[in-house]
Amino acid sequence: MPTPDSAPAQAQVDQAIDWLVKLRFDSPCPRTEQQFQHWLASHPHNPLAWQRVSHLGDELAGLPKGLSRRTLDASQRQHINRRDHLKLLAVLAVGGSLGWAAREPLGIPQLLADSSTATGERRRLQGSDGSRIQLNTASAIDLSYSAEQRRLQLVRGEVSLDSNPNDNRPFRIDTRVGQLATLDSHLLLRENDLGLLLAVRRGDVTLFPSSASPRRVLPGETLQVWANGSFQAVTLHSDPWGWTDGVLSVQQMPLGEFIAEVARYRPGLLRCAPEVAELKVSGTYQLADTGQILQLLTRSLPVRVDYRTRYWVSIGAA
Amino acid sequence: MQINDTLKPTEVALLYQAHHSWLSGWLRSRVGCSEHAADLAQDTFVRLLRARQLSPLKEPRAYLSSIARGLMIDQFRRRALERAYQESLAHLPEAEVPSEEDRLVILDTLARLDRALHQLKPRARQAFLLAQLDGLSIVQIALRLGVSRATVERDLAKALGVCYRLRYADA
Repeated sequence: MPTPDSAPAQAQVDQAIDWLVKLRFDSPCPRTEQQFQHWLASHPHNPLAWQRVSHLGDELAGLPKGLSRRTLDASQRQHINRRDHLKLLAVLAVGGSLGWAAREPLGIPQLLADSSTATGERRRLQGSDGSRIQLNTASAIDLSYSAEQRRLQLVRGEVSLDSNPNDNRPFRIDTRVGQLATLDSHLLLRENDLGLLLAVRRGDVTLFPSSASPRRVLPGETLQVWANGSFQAVTLHSDPWGWTDGVLSVQQMPLGEFIAEVARYRPGLLRCAPEVAELKVSGTYQLADTGQILQLLTRSLPVRVDYRTRYWVSIGAA
Repeated sequence: MQINDTLKPTEVALLYQAHHSWLSGWLRSRVGCSEHAADLAQDTFVRLLRARQLSPLKEPRAYLSSIARGLMIDQFRRRALERAYQESLAHLPEAEVPSEEDRLVILDTLARLDRALHQLKPRARQAFLLAQLDGLSIVQIALRLGVSRATVERDLAKALGVCYRLRYADA
């Protein structure tokens, strides 16, 4: 007989795992359950193997689904990008990285740099074609070049692309809500809850929404593209290009919206109480120090900032 | 030559004397923080005590730095996961944010799952996530991935096998 502490043999563990698959991920018929009971009793090590394996199954089943999915997706993506990036390193000259990711105590971001940014980080890249790209906070892109075309995929977050006009390969851009194509343009893409925000500064962009007919987008236009492919010109309370210069620049923006903007650049929770959410904010703020932005708010508005922890901050009425 | 499963503690002690300060320096130049480097150097020798090693080390420094590099990457992954976790928590409505204690338990389980996912081929990874987090049945997964039921069952068993090793063997 095994002592309770001894590990079951691999063969028993493998069998227990096969049973777990049958019992948990399928709808087992009574016969299967009978066979399982028979297996359990057929070897002195089987109950221990089953105990460990089913405990593991319980742990995994107990994970909150949405939270886990989101976390793993984000984490896996960082790794995938890192691997892709090893290939891309040859073609990408990585410029200075802004924000506080540079202050990470572990210097591995330099060691294993990738085409994504952490919360609060902004980064400039230069494509092998000479195009200039900027990634905003918590963003990720994939870039690839072939003899016929240049491709950028917005994996998440926000990016600005200032293409090199001397390269005449078309640029194709993939997003969640559809594709864009351009020969030369300075454009900005931002994923948001509604879909995608597209702003064009220079050049000529054609939008191919996933389920609507193509539309030319011209310099000065800002479009909100919805998840279903429809789109609409919008006027914003903020300058969508501000972050490319390191600032958040807003006009009469409701405080709730403003705080949601600032929260994009801060790890942890940042909340705004509903009773102050409609107060209006105007001004230009430095993104490099979000703590200071919050501090400044208390001077111009009747609000106060509560730090429950460094990562849990609420804005309420003063 | 003596054949042994692991290095003897006296051998490790000799290696420690000969290479510890070199390794600390090597790590310091990479992590940029001497305290952190000292911790990693310590962990490297602990790992060495448990490592299966059949013959005396021919290139001790190359070996030590490869262990240390593995530890740095493990830490980097853990950090990436923690960051992703913090961000995901921030998106939850306040009422759904788990308690401090639950948060740590969940993070630990997720860290193991994350490591396990890395050791899997893409199809097995996808099948496992569909089963575990999206609650799809084997039949549904088979349809989604265009493979047979038996293949899905094998993939899931493989994934659970990796999780089991990480849960009970490498603890």
